[in-house]
Amino acid sequence: MKGNLFFILIVALILSVSCRNSSKNSSGFVFPDTDTIPLAEAEKLSAEAIADIANNIASPVEIANLLQVLSVPYSPDYLATSINVNRQPTDFDKALALGILGADLGYLNMYEKTATAINILSDIKKLAEGLKVGQFFDFDAIRRLSLNRSNLDSLLFLSVDSYTRIDKYLRDNGRGHLSALMIIGVWLEGQYLATQVIREYPHPVLRDRIGEQKIILNDLIMLAAPYCGRDAEFRKLCGYLQEIREKFRDIKISYTLGDPVSVEKDGGLVVEQTETSIVEMSDDQLAGLVEITGKIRNKMVINN
Amino acid sequence: MKIYLSLVIMMITACTAAYGQSSDPLVSNCILNAGPDAKYLKDFRVQLGKADNPGEPRYKTQMSLWKNTRYRFSLCNTEDSEGQLYLNLRDDANKLVLSSYDPETGKTYTFIDFICNKSGIYRLSFDFTAGMKGSGVGVVSMIK
Repeated sequence: MKGNLFFILIVALILSVSCRNSSKNSSGFVFPDTDTIPLAEAEKLSAEAIADIANNIASPVEIANLLQVLSVPYSPDYLATSINVNRQPTDFDKALALGILGADLGYLNMYEKTATAINILSDIKKLAEGLKVGQFFDFDAIRRLSLNRSNLDSLLFLSVDSYTRIDKYLRDNGRGHLSALMIIGVWLEGQYLATQVIREYPHPVLRDRIGEQKIILNDLIMLAAPYCGRDAEFRKLCGYLQEIREKFRDIKISYTLGDPVSVEKDGGLVVEQTETSIVEMSDDQLAGLVEITGKIRNKMVINN
Repeated sequence: MKIYLSLVIMMITACTAAYGQSSDPLVSNCILNAGPDAKYLKDFRVQLGKADNPGEPRYKTQMSLWKNTRYRFSLCNTEDSEGQLYLNLRDDANKLVLSSYDPETGKTYTFIDFICNKSGIYRLSFDFTAGMKGSGVGVVSMIK
């Protein structure tokens, strides 16, 4: 299915490029029709395709980095502090919370908020142990690196690596539904962070980043699709993802064309892309995304 | 004796903190070599035997890259690798955006900075030069 989507995208791009002399490609990115992603196909997603989807989700560290670049101050108000890890009765709740808190950990790490990061780490530890994947988290090392602020890179590596290993273990051991939940949790919290910040800091770069999530939302939906009929919790989650999808439907992403420019510098190569992506999103559409993201994310964290 | 012991403990702690982030020293060193202005995002561990027919890079993966971000791709391989690890990056239209290897000159770059202006899903393909066998890692970082 990924191959088909990719093929459709390439054909669409080739057609649009070949039919225009203008440097602007206005066909842009569109969602495939729902019917083109039948459940049976989604169920056949290979382990490789699922791993690719996991890679496609923007790292919460990237969102946090963007906020820092835009000089947005840290705020604890964005954190999912209402999650009570002792009151997550099902594996569904635990896996989703693990993803959400993972995104918060990335945010805290980037802003070097050590004390809060360690509190969240303790929650993550409980959730991971509850899912019997605690062995993949080197909590002591992460805690030590959190305290040692000079090792941000090591901390980011250990945190990301732990989540990657948990994700792989779950998928390899027939618990792909929990892996999907974790990934959805990470994405939802990252998008929540961005949509909350933009209410106070309406920077165009951040606005674009929120709208650009349309590019990967379909992958997220595909990731969840095989499990949508699994139980009531999944049915509800899949419904939420469709609600988000609807809000993205009329947001357009178009592209301008160009060839990359390369220069050698300091023994390496610097490549600047001259192609650009442009998000066409009205204030109302943005407000719709802020509203739906906040509503769904809060339903996910205020369930205790 | 106590001072000596304390010093040893401090040194071990410092070394563990600095280098103990990965059980794989190749990955750790590659992350460190990305530079102080680079923030780690992902790594891709690549281990390949000799190719029957060298051509398209064999290890393929993908990741999203976002506009207004400068990424650094660092490429490291073990000393016993017979070829140098290289990377090709293609966009979602399969257009080659960058390559760390020029097959005409044989030149390889150990790092490439990519100033991304088009958000999307990109395909990363890794291999060792001339399809030789090797073991390496590609680290993706952000440059602030």
